[in-house]
Amino acid sequence: MKILVPVKRVADPDNANKVKVSADGARVTSEGLEWKLNPFDEYAVEAALRLNENGASGEKLGEVIIVSLGPDEVQTTIRQPLAMGADRGIHVKADDAELDSTVVAKVLAALVAQEKPDLVLMGKQAVDGDSNTAGQVLAELLGWPMATFAMAIETADGGKTLTIGREVDTGVLTLKVTPPAVVTVDLRIVAPGSVRNGVTPDAHKYGEGARYASLKGIMAAKKKAIDVRTLADLGVTDGAVVTYTKFERPPARTGSVRFVESAQELVQRLKTEAKVL
Amino acid sequence: MTAPRSSHLFNPTEEHRMLRQTVAEFTRREVEPQAAESDRLGVLNTALFRKLGELGVLGITIPEADGGAGMDTVAAVIVHHELSKSDPGFCLAYLAHSMLFVNNFYHCANEEQRARVLPRTLTGEWVGGMGMTEPGAGTDVLAMSTTARRETGPGGDHWVLDGTKTYITNGCEGHCFLVYAKVDGRITAFLVDRDCPGFSTSNHIDKLGMRGSTMAELIFEGCRVPAANLLGEVGGGLVHMMHNLEIERLTLAAMSVGIAERCVELMVDYAQQRQTFGKPIAEYGQIQRYIADGYAAMEAAKALTYNVALDITPDSRNRVGSDAAKLFAAPVGKQCADYAMQVMGGAGYCREYPVERLWRDAKLLEIGGGTIEAHQKNLTKDLCRAAKRA
Repeated sequence: MKILVPVKRVADPDNANKVKVSADGARVTSEGLEWKLNPFDEYAVEAALRLNENGASGEKLGEVIIVSLGPDEVQTTIRQPLAMGADRGIHVKADDAELDSTVVAKVLAALVAQEKPDLVLMGKQAVDGDSNTAGQVLAELLGWPMATFAMAIETADGGKTLTIGREVDTGVLTLKVTPPAVVTVDLRIVAPGSVRNGVTPDAHKYGEGARYASLKGIMAAKKKAIDVRTLADLGVTDGAVVTYTKFERPPARTGSVRFVESAQELVQRLKTEAKVL
Repeated sequence: MTAPRSSHLFNPTEEHRMLRQTVAEFTRREVEPQAAESDRLGVLNTALFRKLGELGVLGITIPEADGGAGMDTVAAVIVHHELSKSDPGFCLAYLAHSMLFVNNFYHCANEEQRARVLPRTLTGEWVGGMGMTEPGAGTDVLAMSTTARRETGPGGDHWVLDGTKTYITNGCEGHCFLVYAKVDGRITAFLVDRDCPGFSTSNHIDKLGMRGSTMAELIFEGCRVPAANLLGEVGGGLVHMMHNLEIERLTLAAMSVGIAERCVELMVDYAQQRQTFGKPIAEYGQIQRYIADGYAAMEAAKALTYNVALDITPDSRNRVGSDAAKLFAAPVGKQCADYAMQVMGGAGYCREYPVERLWRDAKLLEIGGGTIEAHQKNLTKDLCRAAKRA
């Protein structure tokens, strides 16, 4: 299969406590933070690699193309999936301020027209804005079938049909999708048995989580191509449709922890003091 | 949000930055969770060690054409720095294997020897180590008494080694060792493996810290080593040994930097959470002194170590620099671990937190790979010699 995986860089979520709101409330500042690949996008890369390889022999079954939008530094973000094993990258130059889900989806739609992938596989959302919309807007623009929050992907016919598992409140909902399609993935897609491509033997054990960029992969990534495009090249000239008016921190927590002697006392206090029962 | 200029010293290229990211992620996900248990048991986690082989870091300084990663001393420093934030003991096994055995072996071995040994040491199937220190020869390494003599005859062509090496990291699990012995008084390097008749290792030598790796004696009793296992020339061992000591010292310095950095992080976190007399202890001057002094010393050790790393390549040396880096950095790891324990008080002394383990681990760096006294001696000698020449 030919799989397009869009990725976004986000401020390192492990340092999220350093994220600050600017004094005028107009934006979230990220000075001094490290950029990291959005975790859900990293899972999408892992799923794409598993779909397109014989996990036991390492044989490649298709192409994985990474795309990212942003200033020149996003090439760094593209190198990591290339070091994990993706084949090539596309960097669409843009200022972060010019982008929202709709612009991103239009760019991806234009790239799909050029690259003609069988599948666009992406994270369900980025952990910075948590918008959870780019995949859905893209499927709408393309008129393609869509499966969101995938926790399992299976194919037995080389990708002609995909069976997608989605976790819902009451269990796992199974969808059959005929590519070309847009699939967005959830955390569990990187569990050891979540992706089955009909080629990797069932006995093959994948690790838990996305694979590391090995040193060999890192050195190989240096030589992989990253094509550079602009928004204008792709004919995306309408600006963002979402504007952010104000950011504010959640109010500081108040109150304190109190220990009670018994369940009876707890019920009593919830009734008389907290007045929530 | 561009990287500060100083980060260029620590990550000179994009590949270095990605290497750091990979090792940091591996350390967080796989090394940290097992560190306390490996310390308790006093064993090397060999399954985890082989995963280092999958990552490709066991041959970090070996050229790509020979199956390695083809990276430099800075890259080796990065791996030791990041691993030691969680498990210096495990990192010491990595150092003994990748620096003391693989890197050293590569530079004195011929093509046939490389082809025979590298593939299985780069995957971690074979664990390696190096034998230099003896019961009667530590800092005064030239006083070693292990001997080798050549024996040819109907039984074949081989070297016969007699003597004992001690405090050998990876001695328990190791399959192959680079061993220094004297041939007619001249220091010579040999490849000795478990299959050589007359070779044995002692029981595990129990120790205070660095318990994620093991230590044993290597014992040679009329040990017959095939002639094909002579590394380099007879009498050529000293040059290899001295050259390899530089990358060894620098990676040991990097381990101390890793310990120091983790300890600073731990005390900063704790000092903000822990309250006494109604306010976080970070607001007390006495605590601030530990945190600030620890941080400043750690940053200085880090800058010195990475700066010297730029100079050490297969073709260029910086002996004064590597001595200075380890001399300065080793006490910094110990100091920061001690500061962190003091800031954390009873909690720091208990096994629930990693500080007491890092505190025990840190001490080794003032002893192993050259005592601080050896660095003081060598540095002074080199500086006086350079001054005379000027």
